[in-house]
This record gives sequence, C-alpha cells and structure tokens, in this order.
Amino acid sequence: MATIITVNEPIEEPEPDALDYADPLGIRLGQAFRIPWLRELKIDTQVGTIWLGFWGVMSALLFAAGLGVLTLAAFDQANGQPWIIVKYFANLQIAPPEGLGPAPSLRGGGYWQIVMLLWAGSTILWAVRCYERLRRHRWRPFLLFAWLSAVLLTASIWVIHPLLVGSWADAPALGLNGDLDWAQNFSVLWGNFYYNPWHQLAIFFLFGSTMLWGMHGATILATSAEGSHHEDAEIVGLTSGSQKAILFWRWTMGFNAFPKSIHDWLWWFAVGTVLASAIGIVTTGTVTNDWYVWGVDHGTVLQYGPITREAINQHPRPMPDMPASGNAYEPAPGIQ
Amino acid sequence: MATLEFESAYRKPGNTLFQLIVGGEDPFDFWVGRFYVGFFGAVAAVAIFLGVGILFVAVGQYGDWDLLRADIPPPTRAYGLGLAPFLQGGAWQMVVVFATVAFIAWGMREVDICRKLEMGFHVPAMFSLAVSAWLVLQILRPLLMGCWCEGFDLSFTGHLTWVSNTGFRYMNFYLNPFHAYAVLGFFLTAMVLAMHGSAILGTYKTDPNPAVEMRREDTFWRDYVGYSIGEYGIHRLGFYLAVYTLVMSDLCILTSGTLVKDWVDFWHPF
Repeated sequence: MATIITVNEPIEEPEPDALDYADPLGIRLGQAFRIPWLRELKIDTQVGTIWLGFWGVMSALLFAAGLGVLTLAAFDQANGQPWIIVKYFANLQIAPPEGLGPAPSLRGGGYWQIVMLLWAGSTILWAVRCYERLRRHRWRPFLLFAWLSAVLLTASIWVIHPLLVGSWADAPALGLNGDLDWAQNFSVLWGNFYYNPWHQLAIFFLFGSTMLWGMHGATILATSAEGSHHEDAEIVGLTSGSQKAILFWRWTMGFNAFPKSIHDWLWWFAVGTVLASAIGIVTTGTVTNDWYVWGVDHGTVLQYGPITREAINQHPRPMPDMPASGNAYEPAPGIQ
Repeated sequence: MATLEFESAYRKPGNTLFQLIVGGEDPFDFWVGRFYVGFFGAVAAVAIFLGVGILFVAVGQYGDWDLLRADIPPPTRAYGLGLAPFLQGGAWQMVVVFATVAFIAWGMREVDICRKLEMGFHVPAMFSLAVSAWLVLQILRPLLMGCWCEGFDLSFTGHLTWVSNTGFRYMNFYLNPFHAYAVLGFFLTAMVLAMHGSAILGTYKTDPNPAVEMRREDTFWRDYVGYSIGEYGIHRLGFYLAVYTLVMSDLCILTSGTLVKDWVDFWHPF
C-alpha cells in the first residue's frame, strides 16, 4: 500500500473554444499519482489532480469560513474549553433565531445565520464550478441539474419553508443531534410526516434509488467479464455482456432497460427523491398544518376505531404497547 | 415483439439448478413469451397465485374493497406465535408463507437464468439480501418478540401506520444508530446514483470514439473532485452501498424491541 507511483501522462481534453475563458486560478493542483493497492478494491488507482479554478476556490473559501465561524460558536458555547467540545460533540447545537429578522445576538442565532449565509454562497458557487467544468469537458449538463435539485431541497428546508411560516427557528440547528432532533420534531410538529404524501413519494424514490443501484450495479458486475461496464461504447453498439444483461431482466420480469435508458431511470429516481422532498417541505405549513389530519381527511390513515382495553385485545389489528394502568409512562431504570 | 434479434442464440435448454440438484431434466425448462419459467418459476407462479388469491378472499371477507382502506392485519397479541383463525390474522399468516415461498423461488429462478446466460450471480445475491429485509420484518423479529402481531399489515395505509407506530413505540427512531447508518446509506446511494447517471447521460455520443468519451469522464471527475473511481469501480461502489444500506436496515429493525426498548434511553450511559 505504501507504493506510490507518479503519473506523467498528459491530460486529454477537448480543444478550447471562445467560451473557454482564461481562468486566473485555472491550474491543476499538484502531481497525479497512483496507489497500486487500490486495485485490490477494483477501483481506479489514480489520485489527482484537482482543478482549482476561480469558482471552486471561492466556494471552498466560503465553506472554510463557515466552518471557522461554526468552530468559533462551538468554543463560545463551551466557554473556550476544547475538552467540553470533544465530550459533548454530538449535543453541541448552533440554533437558529426566532422570527425572520436578523438575530439579536451572536449566541441568539447570529452564529447560525452567518454560517448559513456563508454555506449558501458556497453551494451556489460550487454549482457555477460544476457548470464551468461540465462545459469545458463537453458534458451535457445533467450533473448540474442534479446538483441544483439538491440545492433546491436544502433551500426548501433552510430558507423557503422558514420564510413561508415566518421563523428561522423551523430550520435545523447545526450539530449532530441538532439534525436528528430536527427530523423527529419537525415530523411531529406538523402532524405526522409519514402521512405527508410527498414524503411518501420521496421515500418511494429513495428506496427505489437503492434498489436500482442494487440492480444496475449487480447486473454490470455480473456481465463485466464481457465488457458491459464500457457503457458509452455499449450505447453505440451492444456486446455480448450487455446482451446478457438485457436478457437477464427480460427473462426475469418481462421488462428490461437498455444501456442508455437504464441511466435515465437512475437519474430520474435520484433527482425525483430530492424534488419530491422539496415539495413535501414547501407544502408543510402552507397546504396544511397537520399531515395526520390531512391523511384522515384523504383516507390514508388506517382507522382503528374506538381505543379501549377491550378493543385492543379483540381488534384484529395490533396496537402499540400501552402501560397497564392509564397513568403516566414509567421511565426505564437509569433515568433520573 | 417477444424476442430481440440476438435472443435466439441465448435461448438454450439445460444447465438448470433442477438438473444439478435432482438429476433429471427440468420439466419446466421453457419460455412463456418473454418470461423464462423453469422449475422455480413454476413454484413461484403457484405461490404467487395462492398468496394473491388468499389476499383477495380475505379482503372480500373483511368487506372493504377501497384500495386505501383494504387491510390484511397480522394476528392479535392474544394468539402469540400460534395459528390464528382466518379473519383474526390467519389470512395474514397464509399470505406471508406463500409470499416467502414466492420470493425464495424467484431468487432461485434468477440463479437459473444466470446459469443459462453464463453470467455472475450478483443479481440473485443482491435479491436475497432484499428478501432478508422481508424475512427479518415478518418472520425473524416476530419470532424473537414471541408474537406474530409484530409483523406489519399487508396494505397501503396499514403498513404506513405500522411504520409510524413502530417508530414512536421505541421513543425516537432517529436515535437508533443502525437507522441513522441506513438513512446515510440511502442518501449516499441516491447521490452516487445521480452522479453516475449524469456521467453517462452527459457523455454518450459526444464523440465518434467512445474511448475518448470514457477518458473525458475520468478527466472531469479528477478536475471536479480530485478522483475518478472508474467505469468499473463505480458499479462496485453502487453495489456495495446498496449492500451496506440493506444490512443496516435489517439491523435497525432487528434490534428494536428485542435488545433495545427505548432509543433515547439507549444513549443515557453516554
């Protein structure tokens, strides 16, 4: 693994045209090298180089600045003691302020607003870098639209929804448990997110994405001995590897994609996930304040009937565990 | 169009699992339209027919044909791990049995098709991992919890409500570490899927020579993020991300209620 080999092959790229302007920071950083051990993982051995470029550098600077402010905020919360940060790393939260105005103080949401502004700028500049590199290498802009749809989802969560309901406090706090708690609280605050139909559609696409990766990845690995992984070439003319991949699904389920169309499926399932999620967030607090009530109104909530002890024992549907007495939940041992 | 122009060369008799295990010739070694049948295809077809038939009979008996309201519930807690009368969960038990048979036979049929096409067994391997999620949810975890009532309802609204109830029953499912790892896996598969789809849709037929297009993909990813995993490596990455996600999903539900009753309290010692 320790062996590292320098790569000296020239980089192949299309002839520049009038729109490929001279970038003052347009250099490829460092020297490409190979780590032969990566061949054990059956992945490409070459690492580097990376293109700097004006937009990429600006994006990285804004991201680093946001990380810096975040670290400052963490030190502020921990009274300047690094050990406290390490000990309570998961629970440290940089929270957003109430209302839509600027935060009253740094600790009262100002840190959050500064970090969010810097990172919003960073993601937008990264999109510009994406477009600039895609154009230079003559790709169609699919990757740009995939990135922008992901940006739309983050914008829905951190900007559009808070604006619509009138408070930055509806956005997630920064921090490990801040994220997880937001997911739980946001779901309960707006009724029950499982009954948000866009959330349901997003989960369909999300699970579908994993399923499609399982299917496509497995199909290509199983037929790559005959070259099915050279996908750009397979789109122009099928070899026996792709023929087998096609026939496998045709014989199994009566339907199959082709080397080009399978990637349409992949792209739309991945992008569909974030688009459906974004719609689900934006409609929350606008279309309805309570997705459970929305589900009851639209017949998507399973109706249990009257909840009595007798009904729980006799009803053919399972009920969640309930305390034997009607009194408060008894905490598990160990909770003070 | 039942057959593709190159298909006849691949439609060969023999080389089935049935031959390998039983010895004789597979009595179902033929195609029906586009579908390959085979011994395991016949088993799956019977199991699917019976399972779906029982499902429809039960829905008819419950008397509600509304697609959203129709529901096949598991047995009540009172029946434990025993058999239940048809409308008290017996229908659920029968459908689960036939569905399980159908899933396993379907996987064996995929193995048969792989053997016929002389390709790797990656798809049936991945399919069995997906079936493991069904086995864990509907059979293994109910067995460990001592009650078939732990399985989820077979219906649209029923399984949604089961998910919601199960999440809240263990206090806060987001604090279940395996759930968090699984969600991470789902998000990563979606992201890597978009990246791979964009790479192929972005570059195909942009140059008369496909080899140039493939080198251009590598150059782009190196410029953009400093590394290109390669046209073969990306499929390995996607495959293993899907494996990781499924394993974590299995663990997340298998530990809930059996080892851990409260995922908030779970973190208390830390």
